[in-house]
Amino acid sequence: MLGGPFNSELIKTTSYKVILPFYIYGAVSFLVATIMLLASNQDFTGHYFNPHILAVTHTMALGWGTMIILGASHQLVPVLIEGRLYSEKLAMYTFYLAAIGIPVLVYAFYVFNMGPIAKWGGRFVVIAVLLYLINIAKSIDKSQHTNVHAVFVLGAVIWLFLTVLVGLALVYNFTYLLLPKDHLHYLYFHAHLGIIGWFLLLVIGVGSRLIPMFMISKYTNTRLLWTIFVLINLALLFFVAFFYWMETLIGLTFIPVLFILTAIILFGFYCFKAYQQRLRKQIDDQVKISLLAVAMLMLPIIMLITVISLLITVTDQETNLILTYGFLVFFGWLTAIILGMTFKTLPFIVWNKVYHKKSSLGKTPNPKDLIHPGVFKIMAVAYLLGLVLFSTGIILLSSMLLKTGAVCMLLTAVLYNFNVFKVINHKAVTI
Amino acid sequence: MNNIETNNATKCDQACISLKTVDDPEIGLNVVDLGLIYALDFDENNKMVQCTMTLTTTFCPMGESITSNVMMALEMSFPGYEIDVHLVFDPPWGFHMISEEGRIFLGR
Repeated sequence: MLGGPFNSELIKTTSYKVILPFYIYGAVSFLVATIMLLASNQDFTGHYFNPHILAVTHTMALGWGTMIILGASHQLVPVLIEGRLYSEKLAMYTFYLAAIGIPVLVYAFYVFNMGPIAKWGGRFVVIAVLLYLINIAKSIDKSQHTNVHAVFVLGAVIWLFLTVLVGLALVYNFTYLLLPKDHLHYLYFHAHLGIIGWFLLLVIGVGSRLIPMFMISKYTNTRLLWTIFVLINLALLFFVAFFYWMETLIGLTFIPVLFILTAIILFGFYCFKAYQQRLRKQIDDQVKISLLAVAMLMLPIIMLITVISLLITVTDQETNLILTYGFLVFFGWLTAIILGMTFKTLPFIVWNKVYHKKSSLGKTPNPKDLIHPGVFKIMAVAYLLGLVLFSTGIILLSSMLLKTGAVCMLLTAVLYNFNVFKVINHKAVTI
Repeated sequence: MNNIETNNATKCDQACISLKTVDDPEIGLNVVDLGLIYALDFDENNKMVQCTMTLTTTFCPMGESITSNVMMALEMSFPGYEIDVHLVFDPPWGFHMISEEGRIFLGR
């Protein structure tokens, strides 16, 4: 009945030395982004093409979202593809290049110096993503068990690479006028390649494996996941195709949006079925926040449909609605999923480091015990409050709501960092 | 009870008591009730214990910790014996391998 040789290679996972720097960088970036949000909250009553808003957005998208996802994915890709990460060295180079490029780029946006500073920042980020793409593609190529989750990840990384390439072209466009159309036109294109192609595709690919795993759910539905994958990629391809005619045929934008909406509803259905068929009855707070983030995906989509409808029916651009949409994507959905998943993945990485070969110590804490649960709960409340207040502030153009919302977001980041550093500095204890 | 294949039921029970102190840290359930232990073979002549076990997934991030803790638990339970932890993924682990006690624990 039992077969197969022992193979220690099958249990070797990516070293914590590779992964922890990404998490630390992400946590500090979130803090920096919320400080910038507080400092420039009044800019959110104006147009979204604003140096401070661009700086906050790129700190959130690259420093926070992308760096945490890169860190987690270096650990999770081996689980998804049932094979080892191709190169830990390449992962470290990805970190160093991104760690240098991101603050340089953000600084350039903040002071709006689109000359050599922004170009160097952009170049570093593009090379970092290229190395990451090579690492993931080689890992999948070497693995014997490519599956739908791995394809989601590879697809997401290819879209990320295209996103940063378009971003770099936009930076160059300030000095060389490379692009034939209006700059804002490409900004919209760049943003959605990143949001849908990178973040959404990756979160669904990884989440569809992790959420059932964390709930110990029997539910699997590969066909449904393939459908979601095709819908999202078709939406992106339609989006690229319509891009050139968008100014005259804005109504066509509804087609990819409806594809995305269907994909999100199907993913929500997938999570619901996984929840229904779970063996583990008690769901911890981290998974609850991640499930909430899946539901929260509907908010930016509703906002996007509203914006497109208004763009068709009224001539003035509803900039505050566009800003709300962007805020709900980066501070809403993306942040919620990271707040939950950080404390589901990071404690395991640190626990493995600290308690590896420590059973002789006696009963040791569980990974979930490494965080302060009270601080986590206050963080969750501050976050939800900050999200509601700030987004309402953008819609109502209320400086008081913007300020209060920004303070709540800053508090969220401080409490998040408290727990991240508490976990990272954990020393072996017995209970 | 768990379906652990063994050539020595008494020693297997003794090993299980020790192995029940080794938890899968994510699930919080011990490796015996989780159904990760497939077989425990005892060779009295050569003073050897061979534990055949699996993990819930290949490249499980906690895999090294779990297998080394299984080895140490057996070393403490059978001093002077050589311990061999044999990791297999065939048959792959499935939910049906969780014991009744494990299901009660998860359903709380």
